[in-house]
Amino acid sequence: MFLSDLPLGQKAIVLQTPDSLPVKLFEMGCMPGEEIELVFAAPFQDPMCFQVQGTLISMRRELAQLIPITDPNAR
Amino acid sequence: MPDKKALRIALVGRPNTGKSSLFNRLTGMNQKVGNYPGVTMERTTGLSKWAPGVLAEVVDLPGVYSLHASSSDEEVVMNALLQESPEERIDRVIGLADGTNLKTCLFVFSQVLDLGLPAVLAVTMRDEMERRGMELKVDELAQTLGCAVVLVNTRSGEGLEELREAVLQAKPSSKLPFFQPGGLHLRWLAQVQEDQGLELPYRAWLLGLKTAGDSAQETSGPAPKRARTDEAIQRYRQVNQWLRAYFIADPVKDRRWTARLDRIVVHPLWGSVVLFGLLFILFQALFYGSEAPMNFIDDQLALLSSWVTEQVPLGFLAHLISKGLIPGIAGVLMFIPQIALLFAFISLLEESGYMARVVFIMDRFMRPFGLSGKSVVPMVSGTACAIPAIMSTRNMENSRERFLAIAVTPLITCSARLPVYALLIGLVIPNQSFFGMNVRGVVLLALYALGFIAALAGSALLNRMMPAKKTPAFLLEMPPYRVPQWRNVITAVWNRTKSFVSEAGKIILAISVVLWFLASFGPDRSPDFSQERSPLPIEESYIGYAGKAIEPVMAPLGFDWKISVAVVSSFVAREVFVGTMATLYSVDDEDSTTIRAQMAREVNPKTGAPFFTLAVGVSLLLFYAFAMQCMSTFAVVARETQSYRFAIVQFIALGLLAYGVAWMAYVLLR
Repeated sequence: MFLSDLPLGQKAIVLQTPDSLPVKLFEMGCMPGEEIELVFAAPFQDPMCFQVQGTLISMRRELAQLIPITDPNAR
Repeated sequence: MPDKKALRIALVGRPNTGKSSLFNRLTGMNQKVGNYPGVTMERTTGLSKWAPGVLAEVVDLPGVYSLHASSSDEEVVMNALLQESPEERIDRVIGLADGTNLKTCLFVFSQVLDLGLPAVLAVTMRDEMERRGMELKVDELAQTLGCAVVLVNTRSGEGLEELREAVLQAKPSSKLPFFQPGGLHLRWLAQVQEDQGLELPYRAWLLGLKTAGDSAQETSGPAPKRARTDEAIQRYRQVNQWLRAYFIADPVKDRRWTARLDRIVVHPLWGSVVLFGLLFILFQALFYGSEAPMNFIDDQLALLSSWVTEQVPLGFLAHLISKGLIPGIAGVLMFIPQIALLFAFISLLEESGYMARVVFIMDRFMRPFGLSGKSVVPMVSGTACAIPAIMSTRNMENSRERFLAIAVTPLITCSARLPVYALLIGLVIPNQSFFGMNVRGVVLLALYALGFIAALAGSALLNRMMPAKKTPAFLLEMPPYRVPQWRNVITAVWNRTKSFVSEAGKIILAISVVLWFLASFGPDRSPDFSQERSPLPIEESYIGYAGKAIEPVMAPLGFDWKISVAVVSSFVAREVFVGTMATLYSVDDEDSTTIRAQMAREVNPKTGAPFFTLAVGVSLLLFYAFAMQCMSTFAVVARETQSYRFAIVQFIALGLLAYGVAWMAYVLLR
């Protein structure tokens, strides 16, 4: 499952992310092991806005499609 | 010029931490706005006296999420903090942290401390923390960080004295380092340290990773991405420990306002309604709200002009003052109402946190053109005037996007084109109805649409042509909504207006006086300044000769020498075209119907038919739609990009585009 599949208002945990992602993502607080929630999205789910570590971070769908997540209860 | 005796203090922190509020508090109105060398990015500094004999120069650095350079913002901050030369060196750092979002802010601050600079942590949003039931154990955190930590409230000014005191006393942190750089590449790091003559390993680490990231070749050093990721993980682990020990939050009281407002503001339907409503208000304000003050300025200068004519005996000096200088000053002052209004509006949007939502909502639409939602503001303001619109690009953090927006904004139909369009449409477009719509109205609407299409297409084209060396990923923080601080709005309006008058204003005034000379003197006769009318018939002035000289070039567009002269003289401002045509057709009043009637009577000597055919009219309309016929736009572009070359290239490029389009229209319609 990837971040782009997360339904509105649902929470998940960020998994180990591939090296190809921008480091800025980590530096903004979106790191493996953190809880992440889809807060709102623009039409066609692009861009999308997530809450992670108390910050609202917006990103385009193409980036969210690359970030693997897992259900918090499945762990 | 940097003052060597002044203590240079840099503000470093994430965006939306109240950095500009604190900056305004610390420096008041004594701010200087400029650009960073080589980057079209704003740099604001402010000088003020902090203590007897202590002059402080506060530098407002761009907001960043990390000191590692992902974009030009971060590069600017990194370069500033790594300066070692005595003239450029940063003496003190004030790190900013939003008290309601400490985690990510402390991440950057721990990087700053590792640079070994004397630093103080200013925790802002104190009032917000209290309201939301948050508590920070300041003394314990200061102990751990090895530097002073001060709670400030930029709204009330609480804690500012304490902050100033702490900054003056500040020393490099005693608890260094917070992060042990190098990992498996200690030898590489030692080498960088030696090559650059750097004492602290973290400085070498920042510099070395940046160089490794820029060059495509394999180096002996670590992979920059991996290294930065590891650093982020380690630093966050440490920050989390600090927060667990020193920060108490009541989760029930958290983040209610922002979430509730966002349900409307970024809603697919209501969000658009709010956005277009606000843009409509902006448009109305720029068009009609600025009318009264602009008329007032115009009237006052007309009074001044007639007063001069009475006081100064008629002659060269009187002409120079009333026809050259005063119109030049008017050309500068006239823009002030619109600039002030636009910047009040923009700073309200930025202050409240709404601007980030505009970017979010518009991203999908602007993306194909290489622009973000931030360009919506210059695009809409451009319909009033390109001057404030181009100035508004200062609020863009992405210098590539700013470049694109500056390049294409002059294409948008501004209000100065309206008199030209009205005259020409009235002249060549029949007053008929077309499917129930007036054809003249349709043509005007089409010209507006053409302006937007040309601007967006131009941007998309330039975006393709520009080599994409490092496109930062679209990652945007949505700041919580906040009530704007009037102090910040007023400071922004004041600074923008001041810098426009003192910098672009100088260029506008100079060009205006030069053009007056060219219109008043000619090669054949000496001008006659003894009367109030123009000292020389325009066709005998240098401008007239220039117009006639370019006539052969303009002939393929269907322009005769009169039009060519009017085109040359309207570089002052597009609407001057109407006045020059009136002069050339010996019409006394500038009422456009009289000029139109006179122009309609003009006969083409070759064909015997009316000169202003549909082909000539449309060709001229299109020429004015595309050409950058405006010295003030030229001046503002030169000022904003810090480059006359940019302005000249843009002027030529848009001129060629205008020429090409007008020529095609003329050939097709003839």
